[in-house]
Amino acid sequence: MSNKVLMMPAAAVATEDVAPVRGRVVKSKWARDLLTFLMVFGPGLIVMVADNDAGAVSTYSQAGGQYGTHLLWIVLLLLPVTYFIQEMVVRLGIATGKGHAAMIYQRFGKWWGLFSLLDLELVNFLTLVTEFAAINLALTKMGVDPRIGVPLVAVGLVLIAISGSYRRWERTVVFLCLLDLAWFVVAFWVQPPAAQIVRGSLVPGLPPGGLTPDLMFLIIAIVGTTVAPWQLFFQQSCIADKRLRFADLKWARLDTFLGACITITVAGCMMIAGGASLTHGFKFTDPAQMAVDLGGVTNGFIKNVILLMMINAAVLGTTAISLSSSWAYGEVRGWPHSLQLPLRKAPGFYLIYLLCVATAAGLVLIPGAPLQLIILGVQVLAGVMLPSAIIFLQLLLNDKELLGEYANKPWNNWVNWTIIIVLFALSLILAAQVAAPNLFPAA
Amino acid sequence: MATLTNLIETKEFTGHFVVIHPLDDVPEQKVDTDSLGPMAMTTSVRISLVSLRAYLVLMMLLVFYHVVVLAGWLGHSN
Repeated sequence: MSNKVLMMPAAAVATEDVAPVRGRVVKSKWARDLLTFLMVFGPGLIVMVADNDAGAVSTYSQAGGQYGTHLLWIVLLLLPVTYFIQEMVVRLGIATGKGHAAMIYQRFGKWWGLFSLLDLELVNFLTLVTEFAAINLALTKMGVDPRIGVPLVAVGLVLIAISGSYRRWERTVVFLCLLDLAWFVVAFWVQPPAAQIVRGSLVPGLPPGGLTPDLMFLIIAIVGTTVAPWQLFFQQSCIADKRLRFADLKWARLDTFLGACITITVAGCMMIAGGASLTHGFKFTDPAQMAVDLGGVTNGFIKNVILLMMINAAVLGTTAISLSSSWAYGEVRGWPHSLQLPLRKAPGFYLIYLLCVATAAGLVLIPGAPLQLIILGVQVLAGVMLPSAIIFLQLLLNDKELLGEYANKPWNNWVNWTIIIVLFALSLILAAQVAAPNLFPAA
Repeated sequence: MATLTNLIETKEFTGHFVVIHPLDDVPEQKVDTDSLGPMAMTTSVRISLVSLRAYLVLMMLLVFYHVVVLAGWLGHSN
């Protein structure tokens, strides 16, 4: 691939008075397509892989630790769901060049805009607490003092965002996303039963014992962690910040699809790791203890890989969720809000990011919090709030005045309304279970 | 809504392609959302959204209650 760098004044080809354009010259179409994809690549992968955050590690490994490979089919079923929802966000972001919070605020008015922002900030903050709680837990199991380790991780998280370069942040985070592939090594190392995995993935069914309240709670948590409200806000703002163009739409879709495939297969690997601890007769308490248990029957390498992946998942989740909060708040308040801006030009945007990270990190250093329960509760809350977030998205995507040819087609609407109905049904089941605990008899 | 990339490819460098990173490209004209104002909503859509809000508040309270019960903070657990 010829890879010359071309510099030319933008004024030579456009009428706007802007900075010189910097491009790379290639000779073949495939090289052009590959390079274009690599330049567009990022928001889709990050939003999907960051979704496998600390809570997800906990929820998936708990699903494996309690039910083995029986729930793999649910994760596989969520692949098209997560792609279809995020693909709508891609269209909205590219067409408007603005974030999701800004769109809700502008098209539904101040009242709904503030409600959506409040929901987002609440669930995001609770989720951030769980991210740092997981970092705390993993560091403790690795023999590192969390009072030193947690603040260090928090400082690192702030440093990767405040460099004033979107590209620098994106490259760092994409590198962390690729580290997540280490879950394949874990899944391979624990020697999973291949036939059970294939059956668990392709044949829908319930584990022995049927539909118990705990299982229903866990299924809703799995849905809540795989498709989370912050993802809608994050990816649209990320696309707007990266200034993706209409011509980039097909590459942004591919980026999102690849990200969805990676996140779902990694989620499956987490469940397989949990399943291995069940096979060895361990009772699941949390993923850090699972790492210690599996390390005892395999080797110390697997223990450390799982613990490091827990920290990596929490770091990815924290940077993405904190940014979704910062972008959303900046959009609604009309503050400058871009990773391309230096600290002095977007102080409010970076202050929100800093507050999110610092407060959550500080809270988990207070001893005695029931970590596993908080994580599961937050995932369920995210699952409950998701349908309403998707309804706003669905209304925006049917707004022909706003999106024109990029608005939803009828088949999009069929798929999305089906997803919304299923999500509502799950949350109604949760409501029924909570209101009448004896509705679903325990096994 | 042509991008700068297209202009360069078709007019300036026949036989070659110039690939430009979105952040290095000339800002593209997007949908002018500021001039659109709020979306026109029928009464039924408004009522649906208000019902959705009420449902969401109720569900949040139920989840909170469930977590409190599971934690045993009310003196018993499921």
